Amino acid sequence: MQETQTTPSLSIPSRSSTSTQDRSSTTGQASSTGPQPSKPPTIAPPVKPKGPSSGAGVHRMRRIIAEDTEWSLAIVPLLTELCIQHIVKNFQNNPILKQLLPEHQKKVLSHLPPDLPLAVTANLIDDENYWRRCCMQRWPVCHVDEHGGSWKRMFFELHLENLLKHFIPSTTDPEVILSLLPLCRNYVRTIRVDQFLPPVQLPSPPHGGDQSDSGSEGEMEEPAMDHYQLRDLVAGLDHLEELDLVYGVKDCGMNFEWNLFLFTYRDCHSLAATIKACHTLKVFRLTRSKVDDDKARILIRSLLDHPALEELDLSHNLIGDRGARAAAKLLSHSRLRVLSLANNQVRAPGAQSLAHALAHNTNLLSLNLRLNCIEDEGGQALAHALQTNKCLTTLHLGGNELSEPTASLLSQVLSINTTLTSINLTGNHIGLDGGKQLLEGMSDNKTLLEFDLRLSDIAQESEYLISQALCANREAARQQALNPSHFMSPITAKGPENPAG
Amino acid sequence: MNPPASLGVLEEKKEEEHLSTPILGPSIHSDNPQERIQARRLRIAARLEARRREALGEYLDGKKEAEEDQSKSYKQKEESRLKLAKLLLCGTELVTNIQVAADIREIHRRVEEEEIKRQRLEKLENEVKTSQDKFDEITVKWEEGKQKRIPQELWEILNTQQVHCAGLIEDKNKLISELQQELKMKDDQYVKDLKKQADDICLLLERMEEQVKNVMKTFRQELHHIEKAFEVERHELLTSNKKKWERALQAHNAKELEYLMSRIKKVEDYEQQLNRQRIWDCEEYNVIKIKLEQDVQVGLEEINLILEQQLQQMKATYQLNQEKLEYNFQVLKKRDEESTVIKSQQKRKINRLHDVLNNLRSKYNKQIKQFQEENQSLTSDYKRLVLQFKEMQKAMRHFALIDDKQFREIWLMNEEEAKELISRALDVDRIIHTHHLGLPWTAPDFWFLKNVGPISQQQHKSATQILEEVLMRAEEEGAEEAASETESYLELPKQVSAKTTRRILMLLCDETGFLIESKLLSLLLPLEKNECYLLRLDALFSDDLYKLVHFFLKYQAHHSPPIQEQTSLVSALEPEELLDHGGGEGSLKEPPRSPVLIHPNDVLKILEAFVMGLRKPRDFRAPAKLLKGVRDASEDSEYWRALTTVIPAATLSLWDVLYTALEKYHLVLTQRAELLIENRSLEQQNTELQQLLQQYLDSKVNSELQVPPTHVFRMPTK
Repeated sequence: MQETQTTPSLSIPSRSSTSTQDRSSTTGQASSTGPQPSKPPTIAPPVKPKGPSSGAGVHRMRRIIAEDTEWSLAIVPLLTELCIQHIVKNFQNNPILKQLLPEHQKKVLSHLPPDLPLAVTANLIDDENYWRRCCMQRWPVCHVDEHGGSWKRMFFELHLENLLKHFIPSTTDPEVILSLLPLCRNYVRTIRVDQFLPPVQLPSPPHGGDQSDSGSEGEMEEPAMDHYQLRDLVAGLDHLEELDLVYGVKDCGMNFEWNLFLFTYRDCHSLAATIKACHTLKVFRLTRSKVDDDKARILIRSLLDHPALEELDLSHNLIGDRGARAAAKLLSHSRLRVLSLANNQVRAPGAQSLAHALAHNTNLLSLNLRLNCIEDEGGQALAHALQTNKCLTTLHLGGNELSEPTASLLSQVLSINTTLTSINLTGNHIGLDGGKQLLEGMSDNKTLLEFDLRLSDIAQESEYLISQALCANREAARQQALNPSHFMSPITAKGPENPAG
Repeated sequence: MNPPASLGVLEEKKEEEHLSTPILGPSIHSDNPQERIQARRLRIAARLEARRREALGEYLDGKKEAEEDQSKSYKQKEESRLKLAKLLLCGTELVTNIQVAADIREIHRRVEEEEIKRQRLEKLENEVKTSQDKFDEITVKWEEGKQKRIPQELWEILNTQQVHCAGLIEDKNKLISELQQELKMKDDQYVKDLKKQADDICLLLERMEEQVKNVMKTFRQELHHIEKAFEVERHELLTSNKKKWERALQAHNAKELEYLMSRIKKVEDYEQQLNRQRIWDCEEYNVIKIKLEQDVQVGLEEINLILEQQLQQMKATYQLNQEKLEYNFQVLKKRDEESTVIKSQQKRKINRLHDVLNNLRSKYNKQIKQFQEENQSLTSDYKRLVLQFKEMQKAMRHFALIDDKQFREIWLMNEEEAKELISRALDVDRIIHTHHLGLPWTAPDFWFLKNVGPISQQQHKSATQILEEVLMRAEEEGAEEAASETESYLELPKQVSAKTTRRILMLLCDETGFLIESKLLSLLLPLEKNECYLLRLDALFSDDLYKLVHFFLKYQAHHSPPIQEQTSLVSALEPEELLDHGGGEGSLKEPPRSPVLIHPNDVLKILEAFVMGLRKPRDFRAPAKLLKGVRDASEDSEYWRALTTVIPAATLSLWDVLYTALEKYHLVLTQRAELLIENRSLEQQNTELQQLLQQYLDSKVNSELQVPPTHVFRMPTK
């Protein structure tokens, strides 16, 4: 009892004493310095309200939870969500994208409708998924690989192509295309247009039946038949690399007229100027457009010493020897790697000039003269050229009326040349002896991988043997292509197997 | 591979459309190409099969080889690769065959077309030639016909001509129909070609699809095969490994068993050894035990005797001790009782004391609180009072000033009034002297006449009063405004420059740091230099600052020039006296010297002298203040009295006499004046009466009257 009593009695005075000490000290300070005594009261009030306010906060929180048990934060959309929705809704008028955080950008992009005006989206959105949706919506079949794997590029290329295809000179406003130019200039690398519509004519039924008449009419009306001039468009596209054009009309059906398929001189001149001005162009194709010698010469002249051109395709036209000679000149004045004159009217002189150019050329990899008529003279010239050429890998001479003399020369080439990998001689009259000679040539060759001799009157046996030799070559090439470790791998594989077995 | 091929075919088809349509001609080999294609197809199929068979053969051969050197999976992979490569090659060949066939067909067509074209051209040329001949013939005949004169002949010729012409036209028509026929045939051909090409394309598509399917199937198959091969290989590997494992396990088990057996044997050995050892030990132990027991038996008897004796002794001591202890116990019990009683008493006492202590503590606390409160209230009262006092002082000073001012004003006013009076009196005196008495008058010259404003200690006050004033202000506002104070000083004529004061003060601060408490110094450290000085000075002197400054200057003035600086403190006291009484004059006389002249070493001496001197003035200070309040009314009264005696008594008596004489004179004059007035009035009456008389005389009545009065009264007047 006593102890219990004493302890509090002791403790109390101690407290009081400390308190009095505090007070006395404070009073002492007060007496010594003027401003200090006012401080303790000023400090005290801010401390007090804290307690009640925090308590009230806790109360409030509790009350909310207690009143509505079903309330939860998950039901209320986040403010960011709402903002993003709003941005998406008003994107057309107020495109906000770059200022957002990356994850918000993603969300906005995934919610944007694909039918926004291009003026808004073209230079703002780089997201592939968005353009993928745009492409998928517009075209049922999309080969994105043909456009460098970029959906955006694909969208703009196909869009531009579509516009060009349906452009009717003197009725469609050229602004339609040129207005697109600032939007697509950074993305379009390829233009593939397989139809150019002629200007709409007034109905001229009288010469519908007579063909010669309509032909002459076409020539007379030539200036009126000009197609869309690509010059402005191409000049605006900074990254254009490929130009694939067909001057013709698709799906004309019973409305066929010859002058629908006219590649006029004015078209030709403007196109030549266009491609001359386009220094980035790598691939130029102008097929099925009735390009004759003169037009071909105009075009090729404009391509002389072009800084970038690598592939020229003028197949399915009407190019003759003079055109071929121009092409030969081009070979020595450019860095052309692929040349195709398939299905033209090149004959022996043309082939000879090509062979002359080819003899000392170091750029050309592939030459296609399918479906021409170079005959033995041209074939022999080419074979002679190949004896000195060290660059060409692919040669297509299918359907050229070649026969035994060419074959014998080619067999010599085969035994010497080590660069050719593919030769096509289908549809020629090489004959049995020629086949044998070729087989001899093949026996010395280790590089040729493809040698197509179908329908060329060769004995089945020699054809089979040639194919065997090709197989061996191919196998060797494969082994070479795989790294030398391939040869090691079976040995190393053997190592662990031996003790096991 | 597939898409380009199909494209190629498509292109060709288109191109054929172009080429075939313009050229007309019969199509002979329309069926042949198809047959050819079929033949070739068969051939290719056969070749394919042969190759497959070969492949299979190779496959079989390869199997044997594989067993020898390479694993199954690798072989399988190689096989399938070859197979697939072949399949692809053949497939593409099969597909491209169509293109090749189309190509060659086109070539044939072109050759034929060329041939036909050539024939057609020839035919046309022939036709042209023959028709030209015929035409020439006809034209020749026309010439002939012109020469004919006989109508019959002419008719004949005309008939023949007609026949010829008809023949020619017929030929032409025939040709045209032929060409048209050809055209039609070409059209048909074109349609057929189109159909064929459509078929070709269909075939191509079919083949492509087939090829794709085939390739897919074979690929899948091969994959399956490869997987199977892998599985088999894996299985084999597994089984072989398992076998190996089992063998190893068996070997291991056998070894284990062996070890176990040997261990058991060893254990048994050890057990036997142990048993043997134990038996031997037991025997030894028994022997030793018996021997020791015998030894003990002998020794014990001796020991027993001694022990019994000891026991007896011990018992005795034990009893004794027991009794002693009992007694002690009784005593202790009693004491214990007593002590409990005392204890309880003490406890009660402690309780009571505790209560008292608590009460006292509470009282003490209460008192402390009370006193604190009292203290606080008193301090606040004190502060209030101090404030009030200060205000009072301020007010007092204010009033004193005002009073002074008022006093001065009243003085001035009175003085002015007095002076005016004096001047008037002097004027009067002058007039009296000069005019009435005819004596020369000299203006009296008194000192007080020139005095303006309150007299007494004006100059004498100027020094002390100002000093005190400034000191008062310093007291009330503290030394912080010392600078401003000195500025105010500067307005006074006698003042030292603020700079010098400042320098002296700084000197003082530097030299007399020991006078300041160390605490204050530590507090001063963080302050700025200027403030630091101020505070230090504040701590050093409360109110004697300016005095000190003056003292310094004074000291300097007295000691620096001829008198040696070593003069003692006694001599230093003299300037101190001067400071109280005529400090202002002194400073005025002595131009303030640059304090640089004061050597820092002298500062202490000066200070000492100052302090010594200061003791006196401090004592006199209060009375001085009072004196100032009372002022000296004596001189004032003297002054005023002097003012009254500006006119001396002699003149006053003169004035009195003069006054009486003049009064008398005045009386005479007044009488005379009265008389004069009377005389003048009489004269006036006279003139008035004369006028009246005249009037009466001149009036008409007079003439009308029989006897004019004028006549009557003329006499006296004229």
